[in-house]
Formats: sequence, C-alpha cells, structure tokens
Amino acid sequence: MRTRVVTGAAILVTVGAMALAGCGSSGGGKNTGLGGSSGTNSSGGSGGGQTYKIGFQGALSGDNKQLGINEVNSFNLAIKEWNAQSNAPFKVTGVTSDDAGDNNKSPAAAAALIGDSAVVGVIGPIFSGPTSAAGKAYATAGMALISPSATNETLTSSGFTTFHRIVPTDGVEGKATADYLAAKFKNVFVVDDTTVYGKGVADVVQTELRAKGVTTERQGTNGANDSNLGPIATAIGGAKAQAVYFGGYDAEGALLAKALKAANYTGLVIGGNGVKSSVFTQNAGAAGDGFYFACGCQDATTAPTAKAFNTAYTQAYGTPPSTYSPEAYDATNALLQAIKTAQSSGTVTRASVETAVNALDYQGITTVVKFAPNGEVAQATVNLYKQEGGKIVELGDITKQK
Amino acid sequence: MATFMNYLVLGLTRGSIYALIALGYTMVYGVLQLINFAHSEVFMSGAFGSYLIVHGIVGAGGHQSPLVVVGVIAAGMVVGALTAGAVGWTLERVAYRPLRRRNAAKLTFLISAIGASFFLSQFAGKIFTSQSTNSFPTFFAQNKPLFKLFGASVTVIEIIDIVFAVAAMIALDRLVSATKLGRAIRAVAEDAPTAALMGVNIDKTISRTFVIGGLLGGLAGFLFGLNYGFGNTMGFQPGVKAFAAAVLGGIGNVRGAMLGGMLIGLVEALLPTAPWINGTAWIGIRWTDVVAFLVLVGVLMFRPTGLLGERLGRAA
Repeated sequence: MRTRVVTGAAILVTVGAMALAGCGSSGGGKNTGLGGSSGTNSSGGSGGGQTYKIGFQGALSGDNKQLGINEVNSFNLAIKEWNAQSNAPFKVTGVTSDDAGDNNKSPAAAAALIGDSAVVGVIGPIFSGPTSAAGKAYATAGMALISPSATNETLTSSGFTTFHRIVPTDGVEGKATADYLAAKFKNVFVVDDTTVYGKGVADVVQTELRAKGVTTERQGTNGANDSNLGPIATAIGGAKAQAVYFGGYDAEGALLAKALKAANYTGLVIGGNGVKSSVFTQNAGAAGDGFYFACGCQDATTAPTAKAFNTAYTQAYGTPPSTYSPEAYDATNALLQAIKTAQSSGTVTRASVETAVNALDYQGITTVVKFAPNGEVAQATVNLYKQEGGKIVELGDITKQK
Repeated sequence: MATFMNYLVLGLTRGSIYALIALGYTMVYGVLQLINFAHSEVFMSGAFGSYLIVHGIVGAGGHQSPLVVVGVIAAGMVVGALTAGAVGWTLERVAYRPLRRRNAAKLTFLISAIGASFFLSQFAGKIFTSQSTNSFPTFFAQNKPLFKLFGASVTVIEIIDIVFAVAAMIALDRLVSATKLGRAIRAVAEDAPTAALMGVNIDKTISRTFVIGGLLGGLAGFLFGLNYGFGNTMGFQPGVKAFAAAVLGGIGNVRGAMLGGMLIGLVEALLPTAPWINGTAWIGIRWTDVVAFLVLVGVLMFRPTGLLGERLGRAA
C-alpha cells in the first residue's frame, strides 16, 4: 500500500522520479531520476496498456554462472521497478536465455530471443565469447544489444552494428593499470594465464609499461587450469620485480596469491576484472589480503550513487549486489529509457529502439550511459580495488591514485 | 643456486604426490592389465572426504594449538584415504567386476573406466555444487619456512607432503614384497589362473588392490588439496601426469611408479625454468606440460618398457 502512496505522489510532482519510484521503502527515486535522459517530457501518464519484451542473454548455468546470476537479478529488479510505477508508459516482460557462457550455445540462445518478435532489445550477451558468436545474428535482426560486462577489444570492430557496452574494454583497463604501475615502479613482472582474455590484457599492460620506460619480465603460467603456481612464484621472487601484473581469472589468481605468499614475495600484485570476484577472496583467504584489482566496474556496496539500488537488491535477493550487478541494472534501465523514447516518437520496433539506444544519454548509477558511434561507452572509469581483511574494497578511480 | 634449490623443492613436493597417484594406476594395471582411468576421480574423492572432516573440525579456519593441528592433519589423511579406498572398492565392484565375470573385451573395460571417471567427477560437482577450485580452511601456518636448504626456504607443508608420501611408499613397498597379501597380488599379476589353482582368491586380491590404490590416492588427494586447493575437476591433470609417471617408470612396477612420479615432478619444475636465474627462462613455465610429455616420449623411445621395466608379477 505504501508503494502506491509514494508513486501516486510521484505522478503529481514529476515524471522524472519514475525509475526508482516503485521501491518506495528504500526511499529511492532521487538517485536515478531521468537526469539527462532524452525524451524526458514524453508520454507521462498516458498509455500503460502496451507490453513489450526485453531479453537477457548470459550464463545462468555452468562454471561461470555466478556473474550471470549477479546480472540477471539486476535485470529482473529493474523490470520489477519499472512495472511498479503506476505511471509507467508501458509494461515490460523480461525473457532470459541461458548460453551457459559457452560460445557454442550462444547462437541458439540468441535465436530464442530473436525468434520472439515481441522482444525489442537485449541485455547481454554478458561474456565476450558468446557475444562474438552471436553478434552477427543480432545485427542482422536489427536487435539492440547493451552488454553490462563483455570487455573484449574486438567486439566493437567486428561488424556487430547493434552492439553496445557500458563498461570499458580490457584494453582501456590494461592501459590504465600500466599507467598506474609505471608511476610507481621501475621493474614489473607480467604474468598471463595463456587464455585469450589473460594474454590479451597482459600484452596491453606490457606494451604500455615498456612505452613508459619500465623494465618488464614476462612469463605465462602452464594454462588456466593449472594448480601448480609455485614455479612461477619462484621465478617472480628470483626476478626481484617490484610489482606483478596477473592477466587471468579468479581461481588461478587466488592460487598465485597463495604461492607468492609462500615464496615470501612482498611487492605489489595486481590483476584485472577477471580476478576480482568472491571466488578469489574465498580461495585466497588471508593470502589474498593486499592483492590489488583494476576493474572498469562499480562496487554497488560502497558507491554513494548506488545506495538505493543496493538496498533494493539486497532486499529482493537476500544477498548484496556483486560484480557487474550495478552495470546490469544501468544497462536495463537505459534500454527501458530507449524504449520510452521510441514510443514517444512513434512506434516501438527493434529498429526504433536501436536508434534510441544510439542516442541515449542516461545518468545511471555507475556511469553516464552514452555511446560512441561504434557502441563503446563514452565515459569509462577504471576503478582500483584492494583486498583487505578478506574483503574487496574500492579505492576509487585508478587515474587519481597516488 | 637458491632459485634452483627452490625449484628443486617444489619439484620434489609435486613429484611425491604424482608418485602416490601413479601407484594406484600401476598396481591395478599389475593385477588386471587395465588402465583404471577413473583413478584420477578416486584421488579427487579423497580430497573431498578429507575436506569434510577438516572443515568439520576447524570450521572456517584460524590457527589452532599444535596438538589440534597434528590431530586434524591425521584425521584428514585417514578420512581422505578411507573415502578414496571406499570409492576404489565400489568402483571395482560396479564398473569392472561385472565385466570381468562376463569375460568382456579389454576395450569394454576402458569405456567403463572412462564412463566411471566422468560420472564420479560430475557427481561430486553436483552434490557439492563445487567450483573448479576450493580451498581447505587454513588451520596452521602451512607456508611458514621451516628451514633453509642451500638458500631455499622449505615450508611446513612441503615437509608434510614429502615425508608422508615417502612414508606411504615405503609402507607399500614392504606390503607388496613382504606380506601374504603382497605375495597374492604378485601371484595374480604374474599368472592369475595359476595363482587361483594355488589357492589365491583372485576376486579378493583384485578388490584389495583397488582399495590399496584408493588409500594412497586419497592420501595424495588430501596432500594435494591442502597444498593447491581442490574441486570436482581436480583429478584430470595430476591424473594424466601420474599415469605418465607410471608408464615412465614401467607400468605394473611399483618402484617404477615412485621413481617416475618423482622424475616427472622434477622435470616439470626444473626444465622449463632453466637456467634458474632472475625471472628469465629459456623455455618458459607455460611450456611445462609440453616439456614433461616430450621427456616421457623421449624416454619411452629408448626404453619402451619404462625406466625400470614392466616387471609384472614382481611388482617390487
């Protein structure tokens, strides 16, 4: 009942409070108002009769399902909040399609969404591999994509004309990390796990470090599933490097952190978005304390702009939002805004939604959702994180660190 | 020198675990002429079993008194070994004995072994909703350097790994060469029908061989898990390496498996990292698996029956 009272008031006061008005108990609304959104004063209290579908493609099963769950929760939360507005210009239904994070399963997952003619836009695919496997099909269908977490460089130069993402690429993240390291150290050891992601980002870091005159050593681990990180930790100790960059994923990163502790290494160790997760903190335990992470992502549990979202998410799912949850929330809300714009300027079709997504200028909780012509997010912040006392804490923009 | 010694200690630690697993492959091969590809999952089940008891005692971790630490390590080893021994026993009962009764072809055993391997790995993944790696709770300062050996710091866990692996190997060696069960195992390996005529219970002997292999594999699972973490897919890589070690030493040969395991561990740690100065390496750690298997192929070209030969029937 309270929700109704709050939203009722919202109609009288302003249309702008709609994004979060539904979650009255959290006192939301003010944080994610429409801000700079295009088409603000459009279809206000009219309509409400139409229902559109939006899709979500991501890993909801398999080894990497945790990220998918983090994101689909936000997707559903944003939809629930949208529909709870009494003045919503239209209703939305979410359709999820599970690709298990697997490139081979991605085309079928995409086909399920494309085949549903009521789906006008899609959040995802959430991983780079599945995106490259299905990007072409979505482009042919003219379906707008907003990915909260696919970070591979090449996705925006592969002819996937409807692809957008709201996070910086691995390249942007790697370069920012290298600049941070170069300002402090003269000698850095770069390790990669020989995967496409790990090697790719490590290459960027190493190239940038060299360009800044830093001496680098480089070694690959014995594959991403190797448990034996002792030898590489010994090599790092022997190299007397002041810092270590690790390009790879969380599980192996945790083993590396442990092996480095065992080898008594005392320099700075930093990894990228692939390492920053609860898998790392759980597995590394105390050995992970002091490990740094660079990630083009926001921590919803600490960012002041995400307070209302944090409360609503925790209330809905009984667990605080995790990696890429806020990004998925922003992506979904941005897509909803685009649909609203499309509705106010005529009919809502895949084509009109795609046009509206390209023209978005929406203030989200993590960033301003505004895309360059190639689909990259216009304003990209890479944040620095550090594990302290078994928890990952945000230290803020990496370019502003001392 | 210090760096070289560090790699050497790492290689010995890893090698002693490979050797323990390799014994399971080689003993089963000795009595059945069968590669038990599900042995890597027997090893895995040992790690899970020991985790349950260790977690049950110390919870999330935190340092304990020395007496408790010793007790937890002992409990972990025993429960890990018993779990894997039980899995090994069941495996033989379910996946192999029915086939043996019906005189199935060798290929059928192989498929059964691979099927059992997938089943066990996936089953453990489902019932524990396991990630690909998990950690044991930290209940003692396992990475504390205990002493220096020519510049290399040797940690508590490395000592535990090596000491218990070697102790288990010596015990097994004694068991095979000096007990009645050992004699039965050797007899079945040499000539099963004749052994049966001499009063050896073949089924019982084979079953016990699986249990012994499982006990050693479970111990290895605990040591491996404590050192490197565990998960339902943990068995594959060390399993393949241990199988290679068994072949390297001479499959069916107990001492050969021990030697082969140690050698693979040392080759892995030392060859790709040469010349052991600074951070540079001629080959590079990313080539570890390639180097290990090249050495294996190289040795087998000159000694096709392995380093110590396939001394079937004289398992020790």
